[in-house]
Amino acid sequence: MNLERIKPHFPWMTLLALVCVVGAANPAFFDPLGLLSLVTDVVPLFIMALGMTFAIYIGGIDLSAQQVANMVTVVATVYLSQFGIGVAGICILAGFVFGAVSGYVTTRLYVPSFVSTLAMGFVALSAAKYLSGQRALSMDVTERNTSFGWMFDSTVGVPHQLAIAAALLAFAWFLQTRTSFGRALKAVGSGELAAVASGLNVDRVKILAFAISGAFAGIAGLLFSVKLSGGDANLANGFLLLAIVAVLVGGTPLTGGVGGVVNTAIGTLIVMVIRAAMVYLEISATQQQMVFGVVLIVAIALTIDRSKLSGVVK
Amino acid sequence: MTDMSAQTEPLGGLLTRDRIVKWAPILVLVALVLLFPFFEFLEDLLEGKDHFYLLDSRFFSIRNAARIGIAAAPALMVAVGVTFIIIMGSIDLSMEGTISVCAVLFAFAFLGWGGTLASWAWLAIPTALLVGALLGFVNGLIHVRLKIPSFMASLAMGFVGTGFALVLTGGDRLRVEDELFRSLLTERWLNFPIMCHVALAFLLLAWFIQSHTALGRNFYAVGGGEQLAQSSGLNVARVRVMGFTLAGIFFAVGALLAVGRIGIAETATGNNFMFVSITAVVVGGTALWGGIGGVWNTLVGVLIVNVINNGMVVIGLPSYVQDGVLGTLVILAVALSTNRKSVTFVK
Repeated sequence: MNLERIKPHFPWMTLLALVCVVGAANPAFFDPLGLLSLVTDVVPLFIMALGMTFAIYIGGIDLSAQQVANMVTVVATVYLSQFGIGVAGICILAGFVFGAVSGYVTTRLYVPSFVSTLAMGFVALSAAKYLSGQRALSMDVTERNTSFGWMFDSTVGVPHQLAIAAALLAFAWFLQTRTSFGRALKAVGSGELAAVASGLNVDRVKILAFAISGAFAGIAGLLFSVKLSGGDANLANGFLLLAIVAVLVGGTPLTGGVGGVVNTAIGTLIVMVIRAAMVYLEISATQQQMVFGVVLIVAIALTIDRSKLSGVVK
Repeated sequence: MTDMSAQTEPLGGLLTRDRIVKWAPILVLVALVLLFPFFEFLEDLLEGKDHFYLLDSRFFSIRNAARIGIAAAPALMVAVGVTFIIIMGSIDLSMEGTISVCAVLFAFAFLGWGGTLASWAWLAIPTALLVGALLGFVNGLIHVRLKIPSFMASLAMGFVGTGFALVLTGGDRLRVEDELFRSLLTERWLNFPIMCHVALAFLLLAWFIQSHTALGRNFYAVGGGEQLAQSSGLNVARVRVMGFTLAGIFFAVGALLAVGRIGIAETATGNNFMFVSITAVVVGGTALWGGIGGVWNTLVGVLIVNVINNGMVVIGLPSYVQDGVLGTLVILAVALSTNRKSVTFVK
C-alpha cells in the first residue's frame, strides 16, 4: 500500500476518525437534533468554501471571498426594501462581477491571484463602507420575513438552508463533472501549459472560475445577512481562514487539478467537527484561530503536489 | 491595456521600458506632492480666497510632513522587512500576526520588568526583536522544509500569530505610558519626532545589508534565478530562512514604533499592515517576480501610500475611499511592472 494510493481517501477517513473520537469523548455529539443544527450553522461557510474550491482547483486562490461576502451583506440590507427577494439576484451578480474582475486582472494583467484578489478585496471593502456609511445596518424584520423567512423553515425535518446547500453542491458538482467547462477546469488545474498548447481558451476558463468563486461568496454573504438580519463591512470576518481550511483539508491541494466540490463538502464537515470538539474541550473562540492556522499548515503540507512546483517553491 | 514595451521601444534609447519602470515611482511621488496642494489651490480659488500655490498649502507644510512621517514610520519598517522577501521572489503575509505578537510580548515584558526605559525594562526591546526573529525563522522553516509556497505558509503563520496574540491578551489592551519610551513620538529633532529618525536609521541599516553584505547579494541572486543560484553552489534554503528571519526583526521594529505611536499594545496593533506594506513595496517598484528593486524603492512606495492617504483627508475625501484606491494602485503597479515577454503564465 503506498501513500499516493490512499491519499485521496484521507479526507473522509479523517472525518470518520474525528467523529469517532469526538463522539466517544462526548456521546451527546450524536444527538440528531444537535447534529442537525451544527450542520445547518455551517451552511454559509460551506457555500463560501464551495466557491473557493473553483479558484483553488485551477491552482489559484481567492483571498477576496470574505470581503465580497461582507460587501454583499451591506448590499442585501440596503436594497432589501426596494427589490424584495430580487435582491438575491443583485447579490449574486455583485459577487460574480467582483470575481470576474479579479480573474481578468490575474489572466490579462499578469497579476498573481493572491495579490489581485487581495487588492479586489480592498476595493470591495471600500464599496461596503461607502454603501453602509460605515455603520452596522439592520434589516426591516417584516420585509426580511416576507422575502427570506422561508429559509429558516424546514420541510419534513430538513431545514431549508440545508436544501439550499445541497442544491448548490449539486449545481457545482454538475459544473465540475458533467460540463466541458468542468473538463477545462481540470485541464487548467492539472497543467496550464499543456492546456494552452492544446488550444483551450485558458484565460476564459480562469476568469469564469474566479467569477464563480465570487458569486458563491455573494450567496454566502446573502445568507449571513439574512441570518443575522443586517449588514456591516465586517460581518463575515474570520471566515476566509475557515473557507481555505475547508477546501484544503477536503483534499483539493493548493496546486489544483485534483479534489473538487465533494471534497469541500467533506472538508467543511471536518472543520465543523473540529469546532464542535473545541467547544466541548472548552477551547475559547480566541484560541480557535491559532488551531485552524496550524491545521491549515498541516493540510497544505500533506496535500500539495510538489512535482508541480518544478523544484522551485517561491 | 496594450503592451508597454511595444509602446515605448520606438522612442529609442531615452525612454526604454526599464528606465520608465525605474523612475516612475519617484515621478508619481513628486506629482502627488504637487497635486494635492493644487486641489487646495483650486478650492480656495473657487471660494474667492487668496491662496499662493504651495506656500499657503496645508498639505505642503513641515507640520504635515511630520504627520506623514509619523504615520509612515512603522509601515516603512514592515515594508522594508518584506522587501527582502520580495527581492527573493517570495512573499511574506505574516506581518499582522508577527507585529501583534511582538507588540503584546514587548508590552508584557516592559510593564513586568519595571515599566520605564530607565530600568531593566529596556531589555523588553531586544526581547521583542528576538521574538520577531524567532517567528520569522519558524515561518521560513515551514516554507522551506515543508515546501509550501511562501504566500500560503506565511498567511497561515499570520493567522496563528494573531490568534496567539489574542490568547496572550485575552482581548485586553496594554497601555505603555512610560514618558521615556513615548518620547519616540513626543520628542522632536529638526521638527520630526524621534521615531522618524529611528526608522531612517533602520532604513540605512537595511540598505547596508542589501548592498554591502553577502546576504544582501544572495537575496538578489535567489530572486534573479533560483536554479542558477542553487547550481552555482548557493545554499538557497539557508538564504531564504535567513531572509524570513531578517524580515521578522524588521516587523518587530515596526511593532515597537507602532506601540510608541499610540501607546497601546493589543491584538489589533498589527491590523492593516499587511496590505499597506505589500502595496508600498510593489508601488515603489520592487517587482513581485524578484531580483529587482530594493529598500529605497520601498521608501518611495511607503511615501506614495502615505501621501495619498494623508492628501485625501486634507482635500476632504471620505476615508473609505482609501482602501479602494490602494487596491486599484496595487493592481496597476504590478501590472505595469510586469514584463509580459518574460512571464509565461500566472497562477
